[in-house]
Amino acid sequence: MKRSSILWTIFLALILVAAAGAPCWAADPIRIAIIGPMQFTQGEGHWNGATMAAEQINKGGGISVGGAKRLVELIKVDSNEFLSIPDATNAMELAISRHRADFLIGGFRTEAVLVMQDIAMDNKKIFLGCGAAHPELCDRVTKNYDRYKYWFRITPINSKFLIKVDFLLLNMVAQVMQKELGIPKIKVAIVAEKAAWADPLVAVANENLPKMGMDIVGVWRPSPVATDATAELSAIQRAGANIIFTSFSSSVGIPFAKQAGELKVPAPLVGINVEAQKDGFWAATGGQGNYGLTISTYGPVKITEHTLPFFNEYRQRFKEAPNYTAGTYDAIDVLKAAIEKTGTLEADKLIPALEQTDLKGPAGRLAFSKDHDVVWGPGYTTGLGTQWQDGKNVVVWPYQWENITYEGTVPYKLPSWVMEHYKKK
Amino acid sequence: MGLIWFQIKRVFTLFRSEVLVLPSRVAVLIFVAALVLLPLFSQDPYLLRILILTSVFAIFAASWDLLSGFTGQMNFGHALFFGVAAYTSGLINVHFKIPHFFTIPIGALAAVLTGLIIGIPCLRLRHTYLALTTLAFPLILMGVVFAIPDVTGGELGVSGLDRLSGSRLRDYYITTILMLLLSFTMWKITDSKTGIILHAIREDELACRTAGINTTRYKLMAFCLSGFFAGIAGGLYAHIMRTVGPSTLEVSMSFQVIIWSIFGGVASIYGPIAGVFILFPLAEVLRVVPEWRMLIFALLVLLTLLFMPEGIIPWIRDKIEKQCPRCKIRSVAIRKTCRVCTADLD
Repeated sequence: MKRSSILWTIFLALILVAAAGAPCWAADPIRIAIIGPMQFTQGEGHWNGATMAAEQINKGGGISVGGAKRLVELIKVDSNEFLSIPDATNAMELAISRHRADFLIGGFRTEAVLVMQDIAMDNKKIFLGCGAAHPELCDRVTKNYDRYKYWFRITPINSKFLIKVDFLLLNMVAQVMQKELGIPKIKVAIVAEKAAWADPLVAVANENLPKMGMDIVGVWRPSPVATDATAELSAIQRAGANIIFTSFSSSVGIPFAKQAGELKVPAPLVGINVEAQKDGFWAATGGQGNYGLTISTYGPVKITEHTLPFFNEYRQRFKEAPNYTAGTYDAIDVLKAAIEKTGTLEADKLIPALEQTDLKGPAGRLAFSKDHDVVWGPGYTTGLGTQWQDGKNVVVWPYQWENITYEGTVPYKLPSWVMEHYKKK
Repeated sequence: MGLIWFQIKRVFTLFRSEVLVLPSRVAVLIFVAALVLLPLFSQDPYLLRILILTSVFAIFAASWDLLSGFTGQMNFGHALFFGVAAYTSGLINVHFKIPHFFTIPIGALAAVLTGLIIGIPCLRLRHTYLALTTLAFPLILMGVVFAIPDVTGGELGVSGLDRLSGSRLRDYYITTILMLLLSFTMWKITDSKTGIILHAIREDELACRTAGINTTRYKLMAFCLSGFFAGIAGGLYAHIMRTVGPSTLEVSMSFQVIIWSIFGGVASIYGPIAGVFILFPLAEVLRVVPEWRMLIFALLVLLTLLFMPEGIIPWIRDKIEKQCPRCKIRSVAIRKTCRVCTADLD
């Protein structure tokens, strides 16, 4: 009798343990593949942003799917897309068929992302782009909605808008120079690295700068990996340029900015300089990159209430400022909102919810246009202009643009040697 | 009935005396059977995708071997043929809606034409000069691609190509069977009188010309043949990826084919194919250690070439087979005498 009661007790205890554990067994994690060039800074950004989002969600118990909380499990997939397109497509296939990812986030090189997008669409998997800016990726949604509806771009803003921001920054500096230094007509030197992505930018600049009331003194195309830019800088100085309009995504951004500072070229640098977005830029230029202005996505300003906590935590944790591929953070938040709204992981049911996305993330208010592209403009994601001012990378744009000035934004400063040069004149 | 039985017996005898006597031939047989039967055991889309691309690159690598391994015309810009065919197939498929079973051969013919165009100026060059000149051609074409983005799609390339077939399994069989057929054709070319002349040109071109052989014609033919096979690979690649971009012309594409070929063993056709079938899937296996992937890969290739300078396949073949010093026929290494002329093998 005694023995049977012990057995009954053990049996009941086992049932209780099983019952308590049942929700854990039932709730499989939501598997999100983060796919990017993981051996490069862009891939690191993808992974870091996603890690932060997943940890925050899991700390809160996970994502609620039809009432049951499910944790987020990230899968790191190296696309190696800078070096090999077949590698990138294999990585995509690996994420879908082997890792059984529920969602795909990432991508960087447009040529690779186009193929990766096709693989994701073949498998009807939601793919949130966080790296490639080319309009074609979203144009495909318009052209063939039924096939490409699973694609959404989170970051960066469409390259058309990147160019727009680029010109807004140029215009802001031109106005400052006209106002503070009394220069009647601004002369611009266009300097773009010799790379395919910069070609349309040069063409647009050549066409639009005269319409904006500026003169072009010349176009210079240094190698993306040039280590010396003194020849170009001397020629620019001789040409009498008031502003140097840059388009750099590679390492040339460092020597160019450094030597411009050393030579005290009387023309501020404005435009795209990816190297200047990084915290290491100040040390890499030995402080000579002071006053350089570039487009950025994240900065130490209050775009929304999420920006500063995200920016500061990211910087503290990864010892650098987030670059735009860290938009994987926003991507996971967007997914979370859609899943919780619909209570399902089914792609076709999630798409209407994703299309109606309207939430505030670190980069701004996130919403999608009809072609599933992130909306750019006042009140939505705008992008930022960041300037190095005495060792600090501060946000200087938007500054009273369309009535927008994010809290923490400071006025743009002309380089001291530029001021001296024109005041002497 | 008796005739059929006689023929079956004849084929079996031939099979036993020509295939089963050599381990390398048995290995080839097992390799072919494994490729053909694999989908019976697994139709994992990831695995099939890897093998589809492996077959395409195997054709590409073998075509390089035909030109550089056999004829000695060191081509450092083999991606030119691949890229020309890929772009040709892609452009005519997208703009003129021509189906892929026409676009792939047309792409290959465009690569033949390219072979002819670059072959003529390159005939005057040898060794390092030839290698450097051929390296320049894909870079020039890449410049053209970026110069006329309205036609070529610029950095994005051409996308939206027709699929090779409707299913992954059919893609697998198309590429595998084409790889086997084209590899066999290339091997037969190198095994023919033409192949012997190509071999002779590599060894001593002057001696060939002294013997009355028009080496110019044969070298040009090698460029065109190599271009044709690389072009088929390029066309297949375009329709598998459904996008053709500047990456098909990148220097890394040209160097990759050289690494695969040298690793497998040049001047053999099957060596480069084996090289691709080892190295391409290996790069995928090494995804388990992503940080170390490229380092391990490079170390493995370096060590293999250090200890097996002729390539991995000739090294293995020399271990398991011996060549008769008298009649040059190969026998299994455990034999003491030649299986044909009974000469002493040791």
